[in-house]
Parts: sequence; C-alpha cells; structure tokens
Amino acid sequence: MSRLTVKLGKLRLSNPTILASGLLSTGSLLCRALREGAGGVVTKSLTLERREGYSTPVVVGVKDGLVNAVGLTNPGGEEYLREELPLAKKGGGPVIVSVAGGKGEEFAEVASKAEEAGADAVELNLSCPHVRGHGLEIGRDPKLVREVVRRTKEVLSIPLFVKLGLSDRIVVSALSAEREGADGVVAINTLPAMVVDVYARRAILSNVTGGLSGPAIRPVALRCVYELYQNLSVPVIGCGGVEDWESAAEFILAGARAVQVGSAVATRGLRVFSEICKGLSNYLKREGIQNVDNLVGRLEG
Amino acid sequence: MRFEELGMYPARVEKAVRESPAVVSLHLRSPLPREPSPGQFVMVWLPGKEEVPMSVSGWDGARLRISVAKMGETTSELQRVKKGEYLGVKGPLGRGFELGRGPYLLVGGGTGMAPLIFACRRLRERGERVKVLVGARTSSELLFVTEARRTGAEVEVTTEDGSSGEGGMVTDLLERELPKRPWKVLACGPEEMLVRVVEECVKRGRKVQVSLERYMRCGLGVCGSCVLDPVGWRVCTEGPVFEGRLLLRTDFGKFVRDPTGRRLPLPPGRRG
Ligand SMILES: Cc1cc2nc3c(=O)[nH]c(=O)nc-3n(C[C@H](O)[C@H](O)[C@H](O)COP(=O)(O)OP(=O)(O)OC[C@H]3O[C@@H](n4cnc5c(N)ncnc54)[C@H](O)[C@@H]3O)c2cc1C
Ligand SMILES: Cc1cc2nc3c(=O)[nH]c(=O)nc-3n(C[C@H](O)[C@H](O)[C@H](O)COP(=O)(O)O)c2cc1C
Ligand code: FES
Repeated sequence: MSRLTVKLGKLRLSNPTILASGLLSTGSLLCRALREGAGGVVTKSLTLERREGYSTPVVVGVKDGLVNAVGLTNPGGEEYLREELPLAKKGGGPVIVSVAGGKGEEFAEVASKAEEAGADAVELNLSCPHVRGHGLEIGRDPKLVREVVRRTKEVLSIPLFVKLGLSDRIVVSALSAEREGADGVVAINTLPAMVVDVYARRAILSNVTGGLSGPAIRPVALRCVYELYQNLSVPVIGCGGVEDWESAAEFILAGARAVQVGSAVATRGLRVFSEICKGLSNYLKREGIQNVDNLVGRLEG
Repeated sequence: MRFEELGMYPARVEKAVRESPAVVSLHLRSPLPREPSPGQFVMVWLPGKEEVPMSVSGWDGARLRISVAKMGETTSELQRVKKGEYLGVKGPLGRGFELGRGPYLLVGGGTGMAPLIFACRRLRERGERVKVLVGARTSSELLFVTEARRTGAEVEVTTEDGSSGEGGMVTDLLERELPKRPWKVLACGPEEMLVRVVEECVKRGRKVQVSLERYMRCGLGVCGSCVLDPVGWRVCTEGPVFEGRLLLRTDFGKFVRDPTGRRLPLPPGRRG
C-alpha cells in the first residue's frame, strides 16, 4: 500500500490515518492501534500536573456522534511519558504526544519532556472546548497562539502540530501558528454541546456541557479544512467524523494531507484504520492515482 | 454499531428487591437498543450522581435486572432508589460468556454471582447440566443460592467463617469438583479468587472464562481507563469476560488503574 505513504513535514507515515487525541489513550492501546493499521497515533492531552478530570458520566452517544466532557484526565505528563509512552512506541509507528496547558511555559515544559522521552512529534491542544482556560480560549486568540507556539518551538526539534477548534478566527490563528514555525495544523476538535435527559430533567454529562464529535460534525470540519488549505502552506490534518474511506477521502479532497479518527473507534473498533486504508487504496487504484498526496485538495472547479 | 446505541436510555425502576444485607436488585424497564446476554454489563447512571458499571443479573425479555452491592457513594444511593424513579442506562456493553454445550461449573464469590445467575438461567433453559459453587465471607452474604436451585442447577455453598456450608474458600470446592467431570468453568468474584480459579483450571486442562472488573470511566471503549497491559485489551469492550488462560499473560491479578490512569498493584481483598 505504498500509494498511501504521506509526509507531514519531517514526519513520515505509512498511511494517512491517525488515531485522534483522547481516544484509547493508554500506551498498550496506542500500540494496538498502530499494529492494527493506524499510520500514527496521538496520546491523550497531557498536562504538567496530574488531573482527575470530571466525574462520570463523561461520554454519551447521540445521533451520529458522541458528546464528551472528560476534563483532560491524565496522570501528569511526566508519569504518562515514563509509563505509557514506551508501551505505545512498541507499536512501531509514529507516536505524537498531545499537550494541553493554561500557559505558554506549561506547554513548552511538557513538550520538551515529550521529546526527551522519545515522542516523534508534538501536538498542541489549543482547542479543548470544556476545560476553562485550557484550549479554545487560546486557540481563538491569534496573539496567544503565537506566544504558545513560539515558546514551544524554541525548545523542540521534532515536528510541532497545532490543533485548532472551530472559531471565526481559525484561519488567522492557524496563520500565526505557521508563522511561528508550526509544522502542520490539525482541525478540528469537538464542538461545544450538551445532552439533556427528559426523565431526569438533567444534563447527562456531570460537567453539564461538553463537546460533540463524530459524523455529526463532519461537514463543519470539512469546511474548516478547506479554508485552512486555501490559506496555509504547511500540511493540514483533518479531524471530525472520519469513519470510513469515503469520509477520509472527503477530507483529503478538501485539502487534508492526513486524517485523524476518533469517535469511530467506538462504533467500528480498531479495525477502522485498516478498513479506511483498504478502501482508499482501492479508490486510488480505480482512479489511476499514484499516491494519496496527489489527491490532496484536488476538488474540481 | 450506531452511535445512538451508545446513548443514555431511560430506565424506570419497577421493583427493588433486597437479596441480602449487602445487595439490592433493581428491576428496570428500559428500551434498550439490544438484548443483553449473560456476562454483559450496563453503565447505570443515577441522575445527579455518578455512572457505574453493573453486570446484568437478569433479563426477562422486557426487564433488566442489576444487583447492587454497597461499595461507596453511588452504590449506596442506588440501593435507596424507589419504584417509579428513573435511572439512565447505557448498554448492554462488552463481551459476555460464550455459552455452548455443558457440563458447566459456575464459581461465584460474593457479588460475583450477579452475572453468573443470569448465565445459570440461560444454560438451564437450554437444558445444560449446571453446577454452581457459591462462596461468601459469611452466610448472610451468600447470593442467589435459592434462585440457582430453582433453575434446577445443583448448588453447593461455602463460607469463610463456616456459618453456612462447609467452612473455607470456594476454590477448595473447585479443586475437589474439577476432576469429576469435563467441566467448562465460568467464574466471577474477587480477583484473587479468580487467579486461583484460572490456575487450577489450567492445571487440570479445563476451559475457563472469567468476568473481570476494572475502574471504568466511559464503558464505551473510548477512554482507555479499563485497559489490561501489556496486551491492550479493554475490559469494557474486549471483556469483561475473558478466556482465563489468556489472562495469565496480563495485569490480571497484579495491577489495576486508578481513575487518572495510574497503574497500581492490585489491592488485597478487593471484591472485584
Ligand atoms: C464490568 C463490571 C461489572 C460490575 N458488576 C457489578 C455488580 O453486578 N454488582 C455490584 O455491586 N458491583 C459491580 N461492579 C462494581 C461497581 O461498579 C463498583 O462497586 C462501583 O463502581 C463503586 O462505585 P461507588 O461510587 O459506590 O464507590 P466508589 O466510592 O467509587 O468506590 C468505593 C470502593 O469501590 C472500589 N471500586 C470502584 N470502582 C470499582 C470497580 N469498577 N470494581 C471494583 N471496585 C471498585 C473503590 O476502589 C473503592 O474502594 C462491576 C464493575 C465492573 C467493572
Ligand atoms: C472521549 C473523547 C476524548 C477526547 N479527548 C481529547 C483530548 O484529550 N485532546 C484533544 O485534543 N482532543 C480530544 N478529543 C477530541 C478528538 O481528538 C477529536 O478532535 C474529535 O473527537 C473529533 O474527531 P472525531 O469526530 O473523529 O471524534 C476527545 C474526543 C473524545 C470523543
Ligand atoms: S471504560 Fe473507557 S475504554 Fe473501557
């Protein structure tokens, strides 16, 4: 399936499917995702200090998606990098460490520890919609984006990706990140959402509000990817509702060089990566396209 | 699977039954997206409180039964739920017992009888030979003994303090029973007990499936909190029922994870 190899800056992937951040999360499961066909995996977002996250319920299914407010649960960057990263690395493919934080120093500190621990790349989560001060607030403020990316880039030699969420400033923020040396932009994270139970007359998630993911957000994510592709020169990585080869191909045509798969792991299992690859490969063959790269952004008209 | 099937379904409490000083069963009417099979579990949400995993202890075609032991805040509150109240249920989830031709030997310790009584009923409905070994610390904690007998299964009990049956561990009964027939074994209970059950069955060349418990944050296979290392099996998805022999190469009996995902040695005396 050499038709499927892609490059994201210096990072080479055997195929364009990447496990999205926050799904599966633990080292041995990331290893399994790689062995079962993912071209790369992203860890859950790590913070400097250990975080309990919110109490349950933290995830619930809805029509065509999931709504979650996990609350950036993690055992702390250092512990995760020591205990889980080595297990993930056994999968043999690239492991991208996602980093979250409230301030520029925090991102830079966890990111440099990740590089030391053997991460293949870092992804800055500037887009979490449900932890105050830890995501979307940064991602939709181009000045803060510049600050965080600059500080992180200073301490890093492995590739740096920046994950942005939906906001009316997504393109401006992405341009700031690119100017500060980001090697790619991931779009998008979940959309602010909530779910109500009419019998309990309560919001189901303990945090009341959360983020919507899955096929329900795909058209929104596609449009973001399309706009980013029009404006950036670094690679765009599409995320939001990818569940089969057709949805992956939609993102690639809109301008994504690779796609991340999150929620579909719940409905399709870990097979989802190899299934997407098989479908994409057949599609490329049928269309007479040598490499998936030649499909990126090739919308007619 | 469709995303809606991972949603929260309303569950009306039709009946609450005290099974023992420690355990209350709730009979729930809920429009579940699928029929539960023995060994599967549901995530049960007490509105305003947390959501916790509970094995399905019965299914009559319309009503779901769960059997709750008091462990902490949510399970205490669940025991106080009244007829007519609403809970939320996600599921049924996970992989249950693979049930084929018998004879079956069911080994339950404490609340571990919850999934086994459902399996016992299903096997007896199919006319399989079933023997149940029920263990508990003391006689008042023995669970589903009468119900198991009523299915026509042979039942033997044991208590650690000797207050009912012969004194000792349920694994002592197992050692004696295993050589007698080509039993297929199903087990659920404290993890230390399960380790002994699996070791004994492997030694005797008997097939054994065990139902495991781990802290579960989502129950849907997305968060990774319930994973067994180094194999990367999620107890909520690839489990909670596993082939015993395969578990010996994992964290089984050795490590658990806390709610932040930190790995800790299995605490002694844990009920599951
Ligand atoms: C697949 C599965 C099936 C289960 N089936 C049943 C059942 O049929 N009946 C039943 O009564 N209980 C069952 N449990 C255990 C039940 O989920 C826990 O007792 C419950 O989550 C505790 O919640 P709490 O808020 O009351 O207590 P907490 O305050 O959360 O905890 C109280 C104590 O329970 C321990 N505990 C927390 N979570 C678990 C867990 N998942 N497993 C074991 N110990 C835990 C804690 O370490 C603590 O010591 C099952 C668990 C799993 C994973
Ligand atoms: C349960 C869950 C946890 C998530 N945790 C994170 C996280 O820690 N960091 C992050 O950047 N994104 C997180 N996300 C967002 C996903 O990485 C992804 O951006 C989003 O779900 C959209 O992709 P999808 O439709 O394929 O799921 C999480 C999503 C879910 C469903
Ligand atoms: S509880 Fe979340 S993956 Fe099993």
